[in-house]
Amino acid sequence: MPAHFVTSLSRGLLPRVSALLILAFLLAFSSGAAADSAPPEVEAEAAVEELVQNAESNAPAAPEKGTLKATIDAGVEKVSKVISDVLFFDISFGAFESPMIDWDTREPVLDENGQPDSQHQPLPLIVVTLVFGGVFFTFFYRFINIRAFKHSIDVIRGKFDRDEDEGEVSHFRALTSALSATVGLGNIAGVAIAVSVGGPGAVFWMLLTAVFGMSSKFSSCTLALMYRKVNADGSISGGPMYYLDLGMKEMGGFFRPLGKTLAVLFAIMAVGGALGGGNLFQANQSYAVVEYVFGFDSDFASYLYGFVAALMVGVVILGGIKRIGAATSRIVPVMAVVYVLACLFVIGVNFRQIPHAFSLIFTEAFSSQALYGGFIGVLVQGVRRAAFSNEAGMGSAAIAHAAARTKEPIREGIVGMIEPFVDTIVICTMTALVVIVSGVYDLHGAERAVLFTDTHGAQEGAVLTAVAFQQVISWFPYILAMAVVLFAYSTMISWCYYGERGWIYLLDHFGGSGLRTVIIFRIFFVFCVFIGAVANLGPVLDLSDALFLSMAFPNILGSMFLAPKVLRHLKDYWGRYQRGEMQPEQ
Amino acid sequence: MSWLPKKNVVVPIDLSEFSLSALDASMEFVEDTSHLHIVHVLREMSPMEPGVVWGEIDDESRRVHAEQAIRKRLADPKFDKIEIHILVGNPPNQIARFAQEVDADLIVIHSHGRTGAAHLLIGSVAERVVRHAHCPVLVIRD
Repeated sequence: MPAHFVTSLSRGLLPRVSALLILAFLLAFSSGAAADSAPPEVEAEAAVEELVQNAESNAPAAPEKGTLKATIDAGVEKVSKVISDVLFFDISFGAFESPMIDWDTREPVLDENGQPDSQHQPLPLIVVTLVFGGVFFTFFYRFINIRAFKHSIDVIRGKFDRDEDEGEVSHFRALTSALSATVGLGNIAGVAIAVSVGGPGAVFWMLLTAVFGMSSKFSSCTLALMYRKVNADGSISGGPMYYLDLGMKEMGGFFRPLGKTLAVLFAIMAVGGALGGGNLFQANQSYAVVEYVFGFDSDFASYLYGFVAALMVGVVILGGIKRIGAATSRIVPVMAVVYVLACLFVIGVNFRQIPHAFSLIFTEAFSSQALYGGFIGVLVQGVRRAAFSNEAGMGSAAIAHAAARTKEPIREGIVGMIEPFVDTIVICTMTALVVIVSGVYDLHGAERAVLFTDTHGAQEGAVLTAVAFQQVISWFPYILAMAVVLFAYSTMISWCYYGERGWIYLLDHFGGSGLRTVIIFRIFFVFCVFIGAVANLGPVLDLSDALFLSMAFPNILGSMFLAPKVLRHLKDYWGRYQRGEMQPEQ
Repeated sequence: MSWLPKKNVVVPIDLSEFSLSALDASMEFVEDTSHLHIVHVLREMSPMEPGVVWGEIDDESRRVHAEQAIRKRLADPKFDKIEIHILVGNPPNQIARFAQEVDADLIVIHSHGRTGAAHLLIGSVAERVVRHAHCPVLVIRD
């Protein structure tokens, strides 16, 4: 790409595009707040809800009006609705339509005139933001995701480690820490949901999102190193709240208050996201798998699971038993390899289906076929689930990467870049292929009903994978259950750390003492582990899910303003690298 | 409290400019700076911090770093004989406990003086040191 294009991008296009994004956000917010009275024509999650409905049908009835629980539920639902109205605000304004489908029979629904009925297919603001961010950073940093790939592997292998630099841990260890938060139920449950709701075509968009997401991750991790706080005791504080705040402060004027605002927004969302996607979702989905695999069917089992899970999380985050946390972060990579091998085995057994699976992935990605909500419906599922799994653009992983021992911010960015590759292009693809080649994504009608009636009101994503595993070898689901429990556990512990960094930033910002009060957050976090496993989550999960993804708004917006600074560093670094001024250690 | 020179004066500092000014004030109370004890309290690390998870930083390494950082700030030769103690835990408790341990005659502490809601809710470290301490406490205000 010619240099002048990049310059013009940073001078002219960047502020304008950002202004547009802010405008869209404001518009979405006002309409979201106003939409309370009128029911939204668009149900972004209609398909997922459909999937869940079977299971929820035998859930306990809603509590009567006037009780405390009903008041809380109503409150949560209201807040959740405003946020998800913003997040899933349809920026196509209903331009896309697709025929309505009866999920059980897979036949088009006909209206009174015998014509196929149609529904709006929303293009949510968050999806557009995520895609736009990834594409923008990829072009702005001139395909850093591709040209730095080999260098990334070299750095991770420790060829450029310097012990005397400031920081807590090596590149490899920083990456492993970040990955233990990233590799979680999103890779197993999330992907299965994407395929069963968006069809095999969603996998294509998931992969593409991950490729572009590598550039978003590069951006966040580089910035985290550029603006981190090295404390007197040698420890590090960093992450989006710091770079949004400190980085934009440097730019002066209007950017000062904007940076502060984005940082505070990010911190709030990090706290919410940690409790939601990083906790409730993990506890809930891991129990769904355990329940299915071991055939539990009593409430007592869920209480027991919730209690044990909360206890195990509690001993680390409240009891300070560092060894368990340390052991977990070493086991997770091994478990990830085991999971991939198990998936390969399942795929291998169904090897005749592989060419067909790939052709489905590619053809259905662009098909306007009705079943999965048409082209837009498929795309939205793929992008959302990829982001949910690899966190690219959300900025969360930057909190862990900030601890890396290096004085080269770009180098850590290039290390972080590999995360969406490992998480999505390797691990998620495995789950997706398992679900596709085994055919479980396509179960419908009676078969589906039998499978999903008794799973505690959870989204059954992960159970689909378990079913596929079971088809091959009867004891295979036990491996899955083990992987799921471990992934969930390490993700919860790592996300507690992200959440508490957000909490500390917030409280310090508003004149309190974050460090002194962090115990409150941790106690609540442990409590949520239990709630996640036993409760029928409904609106709470929606809210936390929304907060989880919405971290991308402040992060991507702020990172675009800061992109020219990153680019200057990148040019300098890449120049030195190519001139051979950095010699890897032998 | 008499105004005779003290044998053991404890000065908690947090590396802000202002807390170092408490150090200057405290020097008036002793004949010899070797009777001054600087105390810096580090918070407990989060058990999920990457450096802790991988065992690359612990309280010992943090103590060394913090002491180096403080020595660097107090480069003036007049501070050379002052003892520096790095503790880990809850600052007010640790400061009070340490003062008792060395049988301090006086604690000289700065207070950032939080105001409004934050003050009501959490008070200040200085306030709690006053409550916990066994000996007189001199609070230097902004």
